[in-house]
Amino acid sequence: MMLLLTLGIFSQTRDVQAQPSTNIYGAPIKRVLMLFSEGRESSGGLMLEQSIQAEMQKRSTNPIEFYVERMDVGRFSDPMHSRLFQDYLGKKYAGRHLDLIIAVPSRDYSLAGEVPDALFPNVPVVFVTVNELEVPTVLNKLGVTGIIQRFDLRGTMALILKLQPDTRRIVVVGGTSSSDRATLNRIEEVSKTVEGVEFGFWTNEPIAALPAAAKNLPEGTVILLSTVQRDVTGQQYMMPQMAQMLMPTANSPIYVLGSSALGSGVVGGAVIDPSDLGVRTAQLAGHILTGVSPRSVPIEIDTSGTQMVDWHALQRWHINESRVPPECFVRFQPVSLWEEHRHLILFTAAVFVLQAATIAGLLTQRRQRRRAEMMLLSQRTELAHVSRVSTMGQLASSLAHELNQPLGAILRNAEAGELFLQKENPDLDEIRAILADIRKDDERAGNVINRMRSLLKRRSLESDPLDLHGLIEETVTLARSDAASRRIHLSMRLASDLPLVLGDRVHLQQVLLNLMLNGMDAMGACRTADRVLSVQAQKLDGHVQVAVKDRGTGIPADKVERVFEPFFSTKNEGMGMGLAISRTIIEAHGGTIRAENNPDKGASFIFTLKPAP
Amino acid sequence: MNPTNPASPAPVTPPPTIYILDDDASFLKSATRLLRASGYQVEAFESAQVFLDKLTPGMSGCVVTDLEMPGLNGLQLQAALARSANPMPVIFLSAQGDIPKTVHAMRGGAEDFLTKLGPKEELLDAVKRALSRDVRERKQRGRMQELHDLFAQLSERELEVLGHVVQGKLNKQIADELGINERTVKLHRTNITRTLQVQSVAELTRLTEELGLFKKNRPSE
Repeated sequence: MMLLLTLGIFSQTRDVQAQPSTNIYGAPIKRVLMLFSEGRESSGGLMLEQSIQAEMQKRSTNPIEFYVERMDVGRFSDPMHSRLFQDYLGKKYAGRHLDLIIAVPSRDYSLAGEVPDALFPNVPVVFVTVNELEVPTVLNKLGVTGIIQRFDLRGTMALILKLQPDTRRIVVVGGTSSSDRATLNRIEEVSKTVEGVEFGFWTNEPIAALPAAAKNLPEGTVILLSTVQRDVTGQQYMMPQMAQMLMPTANSPIYVLGSSALGSGVVGGAVIDPSDLGVRTAQLAGHILTGVSPRSVPIEIDTSGTQMVDWHALQRWHINESRVPPECFVRFQPVSLWEEHRHLILFTAAVFVLQAATIAGLLTQRRQRRRAEMMLLSQRTELAHVSRVSTMGQLASSLAHELNQPLGAILRNAEAGELFLQKENPDLDEIRAILADIRKDDERAGNVINRMRSLLKRRSLESDPLDLHGLIEETVTLARSDAASRRIHLSMRLASDLPLVLGDRVHLQQVLLNLMLNGMDAMGACRTADRVLSVQAQKLDGHVQVAVKDRGTGIPADKVERVFEPFFSTKNEGMGMGLAISRTIIEAHGGTIRAENNPDKGASFIFTLKPAP
Repeated sequence: MNPTNPASPAPVTPPPTIYILDDDASFLKSATRLLRASGYQVEAFESAQVFLDKLTPGMSGCVVTDLEMPGLNGLQLQAALARSANPMPVIFLSAQGDIPKTVHAMRGGAEDFLTKLGPKEELLDAVKRALSRDVRERKQRGRMQELHDLFAQLSERELEVLGHVVQGKLNKQIADELGINERTVKLHRTNITRTLQVQSVAELTRLTEELGLFKKNRPSE
């Protein structure tokens, strides 16, 4: 079973290698080219782009690479520019395999139709656009699919009249491009169904003159911002931009058709939300990416918007909140709890502050004395624990091995005992021997667990007289099975006259274990003869010196001084904390630790400890 | 297994035995106990080297070994055993599952790869399979040895003639190719069939195929 599984993995790996562009998990990368008519100053376009990309990444099991190109027609309207842009696209993507094109046209549909058809005839096209232009038949002929979002003009008119029933005049601000005109025509159409309201159109004057004109609009007027891709001076204006221009001077509330202008002071509207549109586009695009032909998916035309208003604007124009329809989103509304319970909250906060100040005052003196000391100690304990746990992770498999040995023996003995008992004349002596062995192995397993537990327990530094012989032997035993599996020979050379040292048994064991594991790591690529790790201890100049010597790759000469710095590691998988923590522990014991390269091969880590008085 | 009858004369070859190896004395003892209680002949070893030193072609049965041992480990023992004249089936027992090593062991022809904490039925089933595999393979090896001995009686020339015969060539063709008399070819053929105790060309072909003879020559024809 295990074998089959592994072979399965191998064969899968081979398939993956046959595919040129895949991610590490083997799913082929999909490349999507996004073409925008407008430049980056269109905030709706940016929101749409982000929303489409985020949703597609979320939905797809394949990694997706997005390429984004903007034609920027608002600022470069010369037909020459369009040709250059197409040339550029054609040359840039000539050698690149594309899986999908997402077009976001704004003034006509050529970016979804003729342009990709000429440049990338075999790549499926999905488009999304917000406008009122007729759908040209060429899109159907080319088999392009997409979403055409119409402005929700009826919804916006209804919202205006709901919020401000005494509205008598609506000034529509619009532009002169064909798309602008299509929108204005629709507004005009809808205006005929609105009774008792007069419509005025600000289309024949420059937008720049609008703020001055908006100062003195008659009472009962509201301003509705339509699209201005081009005003009479040829200038393009985005909705948020117009809102910001008008807000300081306008004496009438402003309504909009797209959500991107919300937050700049306008009241709101039945707006088109680019994020929501992006999600729907991504769903369609994901569908086409799975291989569905765009030809088979009809173009979707959506005329519904989302009613949204800005809470601040409602306050500014004294529009009663009770007028807001229940399905309408009120945005930027502050938490009302504060309003309702302001006094209670202030009072409570004041009590807390006073109380805290009193307590702080009382404690400051005592605290200041002990703080520095305590902080150091707790950091040290914390770090040692973290490092010990990670060392335990490395050792866990060895310890599992150590634990499974006695457990296995207990199991086999118990099974043998059962078999003996099934015999006609059970050999009681044999069964007694079995039970004694079971007890022995049980103790052995218990010892392994105790050793693990004492290593894992979070403790502060203790100071006891310690026998280094015992401590080192125990640590070496702990590392032995790990060493055996790496085929490393552990050798010990301990002087017989070692005095007791003062220190924390577990923390010192931790340092030693860490140095030993480092040493073993350093010998990963060594010849068998060189796989020797030796631990030596001797008395030197009134101190006890412990050295862990490996015969591995050694430390680059320029880095010997730096190995004890936190987050400094020469190992790929190392976090660089082990030696930093080791130094902290040794220094807390009043000792020193240093690293040096051996004259012949490998490195030595040497620390000293004070003998017990 | 049948316990050996003390009254019968000592057998020349030891009875089928489970050779169990583990450096953990306590596990070794318990597993030996279990296998003996299940009716098997068991011999325990604390290291692979000691076992290999004692290994003779006459020993039959199977090997149950720990994976991690100081000195020669389980995989090295498996390799050494496979190279020896007595490639007994090997069952691995490990204190922890290690996939790369499992794969390695199974590719090396291991009978099974068990964890030490598995139920005894797993071990006993594996042992049963390994013992019958040993009997089967031993018989097969015996048969190959027999064939080998038979074919060793043929002279170089007879082997050469045999090579042509199993390709279905006529005596005349063989005579032409070897530059010898057709009657000499006939004589060789008679000798061959007598030595190998066979009646037909078909049987000859089957034997040579079983032994894997002349395989290399064929594609060049």
